[in-house]
Amino acid sequence: MTPFDFFVLSGLLFTVGLFGVIVRRNVISLFFSLELLLNSANVLLVGFSKLHGNLFGEVFVFFVLAVAAAEAAVGLAIVVALYRYRKSVNTEDFSLLRW
Amino acid sequence: MREVFFYLFAFLSVAFAVISVTHKNVIKGGVSLLASFVSLGAVYFTAGAEFIGIVQVIVYGGAIVVLYLFALMTMDLKSFGKEPLRTLSVAVGGAISLILFASILYAGYKFYSSGITAGISGAEEIALPLFYRFLLPFEVVSVLLLVATVGAVAVGRREE
Repeated sequence: MTPFDFFVLSGLLFTVGLFGVIVRRNVISLFFSLELLLNSANVLLVGFSKLHGNLFGEVFVFFVLAVAAAEAAVGLAIVVALYRYRKSVNTEDFSLLRW
Repeated sequence: MREVFFYLFAFLSVAFAVISVTHKNVIKGGVSLLASFVSLGAVYFTAGAEFIGIVQVIVYGGAIVVLYLFALMTMDLKSFGKEPLRTLSVAVGGAISLILFASILYAGYKFYSSGITAGISGAEEIALPLFYRFLLPFEVVSVLLLVATVGAVAVGRREE
């Protein structure tokens, strides 16, 4: 297990997540993809923390987890409120602010 | 032995991530995302980051994904409708993803030969930098969580 393996794992997760963000139209699926993107960053932070032998990377992962929890709560509240108005979670139905 | 489990759980997490992104049913996608996060926690364990592995399972698996699944229960799944697969967005998404994957591998290639120090970092080891060097960010994160909770309640409230 070398740091390069962490790069490969992180890159694969980021690739899958970015593909999902671009291709999917369901807002909940978009959130899943966003969580995958955050997790790919976490993998790389843990890998670098182990490479350098200090724990600052893992402390940063802790903060990323807290921010991800906050993002999930606020994002889901927005999605539920939007669903109440539009009866849909498809991003193409949320085009009110588009010119 | 650690290597074997590292590769096994890394493969599992990527496979479940692919299922969760590509599956048509959102509930099944959420459950497979849960499996992906738990496998990722096991990956952290094999790398020696025990505290992060436990927190990954508790926060991501136990809190965030379950929150998504609870929110999905309040919606009518039949009203979600079909998502037509457009060739253009698949091609653009695949191309951008592959370019980014290649650049991440290119950036990481110089670490190919260096090994990692396999120290175990549990709660005791994490506590020292967290509560001394990063005490102020820790407090700011608690304020952030409070603001996020109040904001989520305020946004999700039904208007009279």
